[in-house]
Amino acid sequence: MKLHKPGVLTLTATAAIGALLITSCSSPTGTDSSGNDNGLVLADGYELGGYNPVAGFGAAGEAKMYDGLVRLTGGTGMPGFEPSLAAEMPTANTDATVWTVKLRDGVTFSDGSTFDAADVVATYKAILDPASASEARSSYDMISDVVAVDDSTVEFRLAYSYAPLLTKMLIGMVPSESLATPGLAAESPLNTAPVGTGPYTLVDLSPDRAVFEANENYWDGAPEIKKLTLLYVPDDNTRAQRMVSGEIDGTNLPPLLANTFSGKDNMSVTAHQSADWRGLSLPTNNPVAGDKAVRMALNLAANRQSMIDNVLGGHGRVAATPIPEVYGDSYNPNATFAYDPTEAERILTEAGWIEGADGIRSKNGQRAQFTIMYNSVDTVRRDLAQAFASDALAVGIEVDLEALSWDRIDPRINQDSTLLGGGDEPFDPDTQAYDALNSKYIAPGVGSIYDNASDYSNPAVDAGLEVGRRSLDQATRDAAYRDVQQAYVEDPGFVILVFLDHTYVSKDSDWQMSGPVLEPHSHGVTWGPWWSLQTWARGQ
Amino acid sequence: MAERRFKIALGVLIFVALYAALVPWLADVDDRVTEFSAARLAPSFDHPFGTDSAGRDLFVRIAAGIRTSLLIALACALLATVIGVAVGTTAGLVGGWVDRFVMRGTDAVNALPHLLLGIVIVAMFRGSIAAIVLSIALTHWTQVARIIRSEILSLRERPYIDAAILAGASRRHVIMRHLVPATAPQALIAVVLLLPHAVWHESTLSFLGFGLPPHKPSLGTLLEEARSSLLLGGWWTLVFPAAVLVIATVAVAVAGSALRSMLTPPRPSELRL
Amino acid sequence: MTAVDVRADTRPTQGHRDNSRRKAILTMVGRRVLFIVPVIVVVSAGLFAAAAISPFDPLVGYLGTRYMTTSDADKALIADQMGFDNPWYSTYWNWLQGVFTGDLGISRSFNQPVSQVISERLPWTLLLVGISLLIAILASLALGVLAGIRSGGILDKTVSGLSVVIQGLPPFVLSLGAIALFALSLGWLPVAGLTDGGAHPTPGQVIRHLVLPVTVLAISQMPWLLLAVRESVVGSKSEGFVAGAVARGIPTPTITKRHILPTSLAPFVNIVGVRLPELIVGAVLVEEVFSWPGIAGAIVSSARDLDMALLAFLTVGTTLTVMLGSLLADVLVAVLDPRVSTDG
Repeated sequence: MKLHKPGVLTLTATAAIGALLITSCSSPTGTDSSGNDNGLVLADGYELGGYNPVAGFGAAGEAKMYDGLVRLTGGTGMPGFEPSLAAEMPTANTDATVWTVKLRDGVTFSDGSTFDAADVVATYKAILDPASASEARSSYDMISDVVAVDDSTVEFRLAYSYAPLLTKMLIGMVPSESLATPGLAAESPLNTAPVGTGPYTLVDLSPDRAVFEANENYWDGAPEIKKLTLLYVPDDNTRAQRMVSGEIDGTNLPPLLANTFSGKDNMSVTAHQSADWRGLSLPTNNPVAGDKAVRMALNLAANRQSMIDNVLGGHGRVAATPIPEVYGDSYNPNATFAYDPTEAERILTEAGWIEGADGIRSKNGQRAQFTIMYNSVDTVRRDLAQAFASDALAVGIEVDLEALSWDRIDPRINQDSTLLGGGDEPFDPDTQAYDALNSKYIAPGVGSIYDNASDYSNPAVDAGLEVGRRSLDQATRDAAYRDVQQAYVEDPGFVILVFLDHTYVSKDSDWQMSGPVLEPHSHGVTWGPWWSLQTWARGQ
Repeated sequence: MAERRFKIALGVLIFVALYAALVPWLADVDDRVTEFSAARLAPSFDHPFGTDSAGRDLFVRIAAGIRTSLLIALACALLATVIGVAVGTTAGLVGGWVDRFVMRGTDAVNALPHLLLGIVIVAMFRGSIAAIVLSIALTHWTQVARIIRSEILSLRERPYIDAAILAGASRRHVIMRHLVPATAPQALIAVVLLLPHAVWHESTLSFLGFGLPPHKPSLGTLLEEARSSLLLGGWWTLVFPAAVLVIATVAVAVAGSALRSMLTPPRPSELRL
Repeated sequence: MTAVDVRADTRPTQGHRDNSRRKAILTMVGRRVLFIVPVIVVVSAGLFAAAAISPFDPLVGYLGTRYMTTSDADKALIADQMGFDNPWYSTYWNWLQGVFTGDLGISRSFNQPVSQVISERLPWTLLLVGISLLIAILASLALGVLAGIRSGGILDKTVSGLSVVIQGLPPFVLSLGAIALFALSLGWLPVAGLTDGGAHPTPGQVIRHLVLPVTVLAISQMPWLLLAVRESVVGSKSEGFVAGAVARGIPTPTITKRHILPTSLAPFVNIVGVRLPELIVGAVLVEEVFSWPGIAGAIVSSARDLDMALLAFLTVGTTLTVMLGSLLADVLVAVLDPRVSTDG
């Protein structure tokens, strides 16, 4: 009998050791030194890459490799705007249909080319070009033309009066040379090799790590943080675990997970207010959810404060309409829903929804039962949906939950309720509320299917939204939006539950971090305490 | 020896089955009712197994979870056995190139890692219990087919079959009245032995997010929730479902193998495995 | 996949038998290799066909979170440009052609060419699986033999009992438990990933991060191997040649090494071959829970996004690996044990 045991084992051992040696030498995601004192390592739950502004990347101006014509000023409350690539604040004509922007001189892109009007024109035209299939296109459709008046002046010609055009000037500018051939924005090389004027440049990109280095020639002063490493870690728990073990300097986490860090020394939990809302659509086509009495009752039956305290760990604000309190004068403090299940039940009974033997109401043979769809990967949405279903059950309405991916939710969005989020562009009431509430989005093919997902139609709301969009006088706009909110709470089309506070955890250091800023719906580590990373200085 | 093992395992199984059947029924808890302020409480007198992330009592929820998991597993095991019996009987009876072709086919199916096939099938038809059952059944019928086939092959040579044929029984009569029923014990064992695999698979698929939706209790979704609850300090969300999973699957496996030892004399080839 | 039965009654005779034996083994290899081709074709074609009838929309994987804000018209445009609406056989044919010309396509879920995904991730999986397998084999041989020699003893009872329990636990439960205990509570070992955040993959970093995943994967596979070895050893203890050796006064360790161990080898290799698919499954789960950047974990993400380019390659790749692996195991068994038939 031949003994082959040593042979087999030696072979396997050699192979294993060999593999170890080979892989240590050829590190697949190798970069230069780490643990640099002037660098930060952050972990994000959002995918890396896709860095093309034409595709909609960085539309709120948060991209570190690009600059927009204007940028946000931080602080609590509504953020203001200040010039960035514009030399001074843009001006508009009397009916806000023509906007003129003077551009800054002496700015260069990371590939060496000079920044001028041609680049601005090319960028905006590319966004609007059907050939780009840009996801951002519909939110720029007020722009009918962009013209270079001369090398350092650009004119925006609008299809209709649009007061908040500054919000559309936050997006990053790319060189006109990179847009020479029209093509799909999602396929452009800019996605993995961005060329911008911003304070950082991308030096290395792989699916789970992106490395940025400071742009020493940045027109607003070179950043002090010289290196930024972003890791893609999609699982919340893994990010939290890596934070616990001290491997990363900061990350965004769901509120409950973030709260577990509040006792630890050398870690801080930051919560930024946002206009990022969570709520349920109540499609008009649904016999139960579309019923006016049911809509009102559901808004009264939802225990929003409990959701904030328990699901969000206290990090959130009660919502009634998509307009948050932080909007100041545009916000209507009277337009709220109390938590009043008794009143909800009274409304339902009065409208003919009679409680059955099993506790569920019905009216004319229609059982008070409908389905809520939510995106299965999001634990906050799952818990909000469950909490809401429990509240609805308490007033006799049965809610079935379905955890689906977006493509399965899509075809049913006009039939069944969906747990949605909003607030992509929160820096003006128009961009915040128009797409969500205006009835023009009921028609198929207009905008995205998630615009006005309830197919809600309220003429008073529509009228107010139009006034707000077109007038330039701040007082008129504020009054119009207050009217919108009042009209909405008298006849709601959604159950807007909460505004999230985005929660972040960071390691303490002697860097003076960014102050607060109002955040949009997307909340990776490009926001949080790192949103103006390029301005950080060493404090005491 | 085998009998004693069988009795113990059966006892444990009955206990688990009672837990799964009675507790949800007696507690009559509506699992749509949540109480987030009572989330993630440690085990106490009120909540022997603690509470989960939505404030639901885990003692009841785990019982519901194992019930779901066992029911799905039963469906998978039955379906896999039906397929396996059909295929194995055909191969064993018809013989010839059909037999060889079928055996090659089962070898091929065996070559694919079960979970992979399962993931692919479920990923494509996400969210449907039918997809879960199918994906597990379609990857597990091969063991059954092999066993049934060799059983049929050995049965064919038995004297009583010869006697029946000599007595003038038709082919159909012989097959239906003698051969197929004689495979019943093996089929039963196959169902029992498949159960732990099916539970294992369903919980893995649900854990990866491909199986049941997160708010429906099954052992897999409960363990997936444990992943996040661990960090928030809730060791009980992992320990109790895992313990129930292990007890149930081990009990079934021991019962099944004891049953097999009791019902079949050992064969040389089996001793070596 | 195993096709070997042990027949206790054939007796080897040297020389002429060796030659025809070698030929028989080679024929088996040839037959099995030929068999692989149709299986691969059926599996890959089936994959594309199934993807076509599934209701899943590849745009979701492509657009990710932007899926919600893209208008229908833009979605139709992208689908058209990316060829998502082509019939499945044309997509399949394109893929096949690509494979033969070396173009494996672009992975949508990683935004990289498939070949790059593989070259970056395969080494890490090989490392993980290789070391785990090594540890599992050595440990189960050692423990299995010891448990078998002193069957009924404390070691045997403990080890067998533990094995039965571990058999019931899916690898992800073991992983979670390991993380909870060693990484979170005790803080001895890192939680996940290849290296600490952003660090260069030095051997020190990698080894530290390798400890938990390797241990979990090895332990999750050991029960079957261990129990098989133990049963072999127990079985051969009662064989005639062992009794003869004892009667001749040969000390037990020598008997173990020279007589019992060799006879247990063939079934052991057999079992390793049988367990190969489960090893791959274990690797998938361990990589998923520990965020190990290997190719097995990529299976889960490519299935989630229905990233056909990568998924097709991975499915075919794992099938091929398993079939070749079990062929290797069967060849080894045939070489080790001349009684084994080679009509697999």
